[in-house]
Amino acid sequence: MDVPTLRRAASMVVVGLGGLLWLAAILFMAQTAQHSEQFSRLHPWILMINIAGLVVLVGLLFTKLAQLVRDWRGHVIGSRLKARMVWIFGVLATLPILLVYFFAVQFLNRGIDSWFNVEIRQSLDDALVLSRSALETRMREHLEATEVVAEQLAATGGTSAVLLEGLRRQAGALEITVATESGAIVAVSKGLSSEVVPEEVPGEVLLQVRQGRPFVSLEPQAAGGYLVRTAVSFGGTAPGRGRLVVQAMYPVAERIAALADTLQATYQQFGEKDYLRRPLKASFILTLTVVLLLSLLAAWYGAIFTAQKLVQPIQDLVKGTRAVAQGDLDTRLPLTSHDEMGFLVHSFNDMTKRLRSAREDQQRAQQAAETERANLAIILARLSTGVVSLEPDLRVRTANRAATTILGEDLEACVGRSLAGLGTPDGLLRQFVEACRSRIAAGDLEWREQFTFQAGPSRRILMCACTPLPGEAEGELPGGFVLVFDDITVMLQAQREAAWGEVARRLAHEIKNPLTPIRLSAERMRHKLLPSMNEKDAQLLDRGTETIVQQVEAMKEMVNAFSEYARAPRFEMADVNLNQLVREVTDLYRAQVAGRGVQLVVDLEPRVATVVADRGRLRQLLNNLLTNAVEALEGQPDGSITVATRLAERNGEEAVEIEVEDNGPGFQRELIGQVFDPYVTTKPRGTGLGLAIVLKIVEEHGGHVEADNRAEGGARVRIELPLNETTRAQAANREPRRPEPRRERA
Amino acid sequence: MSNSRHASRSKSLASRGLRAAWLLCFLATTAAPAFADTRLQVASASVAVDDGVFELDARLDLEIPEAGRRAIEAGLTLELDYRVEIARVRRYLPDDEVASLVQNYELSFHALSQRYLLRNLNTGEQQDFGTLQAALDRLAEVRGLPLLDATLLEPGATYEFRVRAALNLRTAPDTLGWLLFWTDDWSATSEWFAWTYRR
Repeated sequence: MDVPTLRRAASMVVVGLGGLLWLAAILFMAQTAQHSEQFSRLHPWILMINIAGLVVLVGLLFTKLAQLVRDWRGHVIGSRLKARMVWIFGVLATLPILLVYFFAVQFLNRGIDSWFNVEIRQSLDDALVLSRSALETRMREHLEATEVVAEQLAATGGTSAVLLEGLRRQAGALEITVATESGAIVAVSKGLSSEVVPEEVPGEVLLQVRQGRPFVSLEPQAAGGYLVRTAVSFGGTAPGRGRLVVQAMYPVAERIAALADTLQATYQQFGEKDYLRRPLKASFILTLTVVLLLSLLAAWYGAIFTAQKLVQPIQDLVKGTRAVAQGDLDTRLPLTSHDEMGFLVHSFNDMTKRLRSAREDQQRAQQAAETERANLAIILARLSTGVVSLEPDLRVRTANRAATTILGEDLEACVGRSLAGLGTPDGLLRQFVEACRSRIAAGDLEWREQFTFQAGPSRRILMCACTPLPGEAEGELPGGFVLVFDDITVMLQAQREAAWGEVARRLAHEIKNPLTPIRLSAERMRHKLLPSMNEKDAQLLDRGTETIVQQVEAMKEMVNAFSEYARAPRFEMADVNLNQLVREVTDLYRAQVAGRGVQLVVDLEPRVATVVADRGRLRQLLNNLLTNAVEALEGQPDGSITVATRLAERNGEEAVEIEVEDNGPGFQRELIGQVFDPYVTTKPRGTGLGLAIVLKIVEEHGGHVEADNRAEGGARVRIELPLNETTRAQAANREPRRPEPRRERA
Repeated sequence: MSNSRHASRSKSLASRGLRAAWLLCFLATTAAPAFADTRLQVASASVAVDDGVFELDARLDLEIPEAGRRAIEAGLTLELDYRVEIARVRRYLPDDEVASLVQNYELSFHALSQRYLLRNLNTGEQQDFGTLQAALDRLAEVRGLPLLDATLLEPGATYEFRVRAALNLRTAPDTLGWLLFWTDDWSATSEWFAWTYRR
């Protein structure tokens, strides 16, 4: 058993014992009217015990009522219901008790008064007077007889025993005593039934007789019965004697004595009760009042106790409900009974148990989902593929880092925003969004497509797939979409480069080798046949062989260019003073361009430090760029070429920038995204490998290159090379376009 | 009676306490006649040797209030007890009680005969009086009450005689005795009246 249960049990035992003691005291007090002597002593103590119980009960009741008032004012849960129940119970108990008390008091007052009503008192008084009258008649007769005795004694003048005995018998007296007025006994005559010692004449008798008045009285006897005492005086005859007193004692008949005793006892008892009437009423009313107050207070206390017992489970339920509402599902209510309220408490406990179990299951599932979500987030974050999930109304739900990287704008900051309107006009994100929206708006919910977008100067190729998310119910609208896309520009570039590398290798292998025998054969034919031929044929042979040799040389140059493109790099990385290198290369071109009327401007940033690079490759890069610029300005007056170096910053890393621009016709708009592809050229004699090799060298150094047209006209190529060796190495190793080293066969 | 002490009236403290509590609680609604004091004290007492027996003569100063007189006339019984104690006085030790005696008297009114009956409950002797005062006068006087044989007291020793009287009221049958708790209390007990006697 827990502590509250033990406390409740102890309280019930104490209250039960107190109640029994109180009941015993009440019953004990109620018996006081029936058992006398012992109760006469215990009566006040019993009353005091009841009063003490009353005081204790009053204290308890006031404590409970004060608590109830405090609860009411404090808006404690259940206090109002409890107060109402206490009020109803109390009133229901008080009204009948007060009613019974009122009638009981009335009954007591009237009942006790009726015991002592005038008729009974008068009857008893009358009976007493009647009895006394009857006895007084006899007493007078006895007095007369005594007077006769006195007259005869006075007449005879003697008090001899014989005379006195005769007179006694004649008068019917039990005893006749003759005494002097001072009380000295002169003669006595006694019957056999009288005591041996003669009855002396009492002082009051002598006093009355001396006053000349005869004395007669009825005297109750200690042994029971009555005697009539009479006394008269008479004149003495003996010389020297004064007046004498004769006292005669007469018996009262037993029957009359018995009746007199009965009447006396009744009268005395009635007198006692009449005297004690008011205390009797007060005591009864007091007893009744004490019982009433005890019952009343006990009823109110019981009302509070009962209300508390009834309200307690409700209070517990309310507290428990609040606790559950606040998320405390460990709440358990004490099961105090097995009635309907107990069933309710049991149901509540069962409900909280089930709720807790369900919440634990949900928490486990949520935890698993969170784990999955975290894993998925990690995967998505590490994924190089862009993943964007959309709400059914095409608001961005999630976006991974790769999506931001590919599309060039912070998509994670766009979570919650509608897909429409995202990105800047003509930006990559806007083009991507519009492409996807148009497909979804067309009702194509699941698709896969390769998009080509023009993002500024560069062309971007994205492979995008859209998959609808399952809706809440089967057959309903999708719960959203997932866009998965990847930037395959570099991959396609690499594939193209690989393909062209293979082409170059085959060209070098299949074409270059036969060129030398062709040229040697042509020269041999010319050398052997030319002298022996006529002039006309000789001229024909000479032109023919000359053409063969020139074309073979042209093809050889082309094959060498292919060979250079496909050649595997042999890096000799070292510190290169970029400004100095630029100055050296431009100096070589300065005389050439000056002859064509082209101005070559070199704008070098003095703070540009040395870069770690392959000096020869960088020289080739600059040669290719300057060659392109010079060829672009061919035939154009006032041509201008500017070569500049600057300090730059890319992705938080320091870099150097090389910019070569001219004021020629610039790149064709439709080819501007493909200028770094091999064999893409607008020049009649170009191989289309110049910028492709530039791109290759830049990527080998972990740099970045872009080409576009200047707003004022002309082309511009901008190259960024990282200054940090680590960044350069990482960027170079990340480069996907080197599946295998390509080696140009000589 | 060389060293006599004057006695004074006293009441039972316990009874007074209880009654006071009750008065505070409830007696406002009960019949509570005006409290009237009873005077009871031993006015004089002496012993004399008569025929080899110590006999007591004593007189009380007894005054019953009017309420008590009415109660007796209504039928209640008055009890008066004389308690006599004889103790040997020792110098360094507590007194040694030699003898004690209680003499009980009962006074009631006989309505039929209009006589007041005074009974000696020890001897059964009964006397009747025409007036209550005569009965009370007789009750207040003790003459020649034999106490003990003179030979029981050692010659040369000093003895202390003590007399005390107690007055009480009771109902003739005890059925309603408990109600006397609610009546005016005129019961009383006197202080000890004591004197030394050198044998």
